[in-house]
Amino acid sequence: MPTGSPPIPAGPATAGPAGDLAPAAARRAARGPRRGSNERFPRAERLAPYLLVLPAVLVIAVFRLYPLALGVNFSFTGDGDRNGQPVGWDNYTALFADPLFTASMRNVGLLVLLLPVAVAIPGLLATFVYLRVPGHRVYRSVYFFPAVLSPVIIGAIFNLLLSFDGPVNALLGAVGIGPVDWLGDPGIAMFAVVGVHIWATFGMALVVFLAGFATLDASLIDAARVDGASLPKVVRHVIVPGLSRTIQFVVVTTMIGMLTSMFGLLYVMTGGGPEGSTYLPEYYIWFQQGQMGRPALASAASTVLFGVMLVVGMAQIAVLRRAGRED
Amino acid sequence: MAPLRAGRWIAAVPMAALAIATVYPLLFTANVAMKTRHEYVLDRFAPAEGLRWDAFASAWAGADMDRYLANSLIVVAGAVALLLLLGSMAGFALSQLRFRGSRLLFLACLSALFIPFQVIMVPLARTMGQLGLVDTYPGLILAYTAQFLPFTVFLMTSYYSGIPSEITDAARIDGNSVYGVYGRIMLPLGRPALLSVGILNALFCWNDVLIALLMMPSAEHRTLMVGVTALRGQYSADIPTFAGGVLIAAVPVLVLYLCFQRQITAGVTAGSTKG
Repeated sequence: MPTGSPPIPAGPATAGPAGDLAPAAARRAARGPRRGSNERFPRAERLAPYLLVLPAVLVIAVFRLYPLALGVNFSFTGDGDRNGQPVGWDNYTALFADPLFTASMRNVGLLVLLLPVAVAIPGLLATFVYLRVPGHRVYRSVYFFPAVLSPVIIGAIFNLLLSFDGPVNALLGAVGIGPVDWLGDPGIAMFAVVGVHIWATFGMALVVFLAGFATLDASLIDAARVDGASLPKVVRHVIVPGLSRTIQFVVVTTMIGMLTSMFGLLYVMTGGGPEGSTYLPEYYIWFQQGQMGRPALASAASTVLFGVMLVVGMAQIAVLRRAGRED
Repeated sequence: MAPLRAGRWIAAVPMAALAIATVYPLLFTANVAMKTRHEYVLDRFAPAEGLRWDAFASAWAGADMDRYLANSLIVVAGAVALLLLLGSMAGFALSQLRFRGSRLLFLACLSALFIPFQVIMVPLARTMGQLGLVDTYPGLILAYTAQFLPFTVFLMTSYYSGIPSEITDAARIDGNSVYGVYGRIMLPLGRPALLSVGILNALFCWNDVLIALLMMPSAEHRTLMVGVTALRGQYSADIPTFAGGVLIAAVPVLVLYLCFQRQITAGVTAGSTKG
C-alpha cells in the first residue's frame, strides 16, 4: 500500500506511476477527488477535451479527408457536356491515352531513378559535417538556406543562371564545353529542373541526417577507426546501419517532396515545356483543372497520383525494412 | 578520431565548392539587380559599379509589389494564428487529457498528413466555391490552415506529451477548469514549440504558390509569390528590375532564417527522430 506516498493527483489525465502500482482499492479511493471535481462542472468538463479537439478535426475532415473521397468519386463523372454524369473508367482511359500524362508518369519514373542521388548527396555531406570537416558549422547554415526560399524565387533565379548566355554556360565554356540549352532542350530540361530542386532541398535532408547522427553512438565509430577501418567501411558498416530509421525517413520525405513540391519550379522555369517534357502529375492536374477546365479528368490524375504515392511510400518502407533486418 | 585529420581537409574542398554553389546564385542575382540594363547587356558577370537601388524601387512601384506584400502578410498572419490556436488546443487535449476516442481522433489528424494538396485540389476548389470562399482572404487562410494543420497538430501533440501530466493534474486540483489549464498553463509552456511551428508554418504559407494560384485567381488578391511569377513576363526586357523584384520577395524569408535558424531546423527534424 502506498500509504506514505503523497495523494495521487486528481484530474482526467492518467494516474501517476504510483497509481499503476497501487491495488485496486487504493486506486478507487484515489479517483474520489476526480469524481468530485467532475461534479463541480460535470457536463462541461466531460465535453471539454472534445471541444478542444473539435475545431482541428472539423477543419481536417471537411477540407482534407472529405475532398479526398469527393475527388475519387468525381473522377468517375464526366467533364463539359457530361458534367456530373457517371462515366465509369472513361477519365482513366482518356488519361492514359494522353501523351502529356504518360510523359508525366515517365518523369515520375525518372524521379524514382534519381532518388538515390538526392538522398546520397545530403547523406555524404552530413557525414563530412559530422566528422567535423573544417568549417562544418558554417556549412550547415549555408547549405540549409535555399530550403527556406520559395520554389518560385529559386526558379526565377535559375531562369537567369541557366539562360543560354548565363553563368552556368559561361562556366562550362571556360572548361571548353559548348553552351547547353538547359531549359529549351526536351532531353535536358527535366534534369535541369530536378537538379535545381535537389540544389534547393538537399539542406533540408542534411539537417535531418545530422539529427540522426546526433543519436548515433560515437564510440562505435571511434572503435572502428581504431581497428583500422577506412572511411568507406565505417560508412557502410557503422553509419548506414545505425541510421537506418533516418535514411528511411529521408527517402520517403524526399520522394514525396519530388512528387508534390516541384510545382513552383515547373510553373516558373518551364511551364511544362519544352514539348511537354517537364510535366509531372501535379502540374498536369493543375493544367487540366485550371487551364483546360477539365476537373473530372484532373481528379482522375489526382487519384492516380495518390495511388503512386501510396505504392512508392510502402515499397520504400518495405525495402528498407528488409535491408535493415539483414544488418 | 585523429586518423581522419588529413581526410577532413580533402573533404573540405568539395564542401567549400558546394557552399559557393549554394550562395553564388543569390549573389549573382543581387549583382544583376544593382546594374543598369545597359551594364547587364554588356557584361552580366562584372561587379556592378556601386550599390544602386533603382531596380528594387522600380520593381516595387511598377509591379504592384506593395499590394502583393500586404496580401501575403494578411493571409500568412491569419493562417499562422489559426494554425497555432487550433493546433495547440488539439495538441493539449490529445496529449494531456484522456478521453474516449482520443487515439482515433489523433490518427484521423495524422492520416491527413499523407494527403498531398495536389490530390485534393480539384474537389477542394469546388467545395470552396460552393461556400463562396474562392478569391477571399478567409478562403485562402482556411485552405492554408487545412493544409498545414495535421503537421501542426502532430508537432504540438508530441511537444505536450513531453510535459508531465502532473502539471495538469496539480492545476486541476487548484480549481482550474480544463480551459483554464489550457489558457493559463499550456499556452505559456508551449511557447518554444509554438514559436518553432509558427515560423515553419509562416514559411510554408509565405512560399506557397499552387494553393494561392488556385484559391486567389484575381490579380488584386495575388500573394507576393504569385506576383513573382508574373515578373518575368512584365520585365522580360529589363532583367535588373526582374532580379530586384525577385530579391524583394526573398528578403523577408532570408531575415526570418537568419533570426530563427535554430527553430526552423528544429521543426524540420522534429518528425524524423520520433518517426
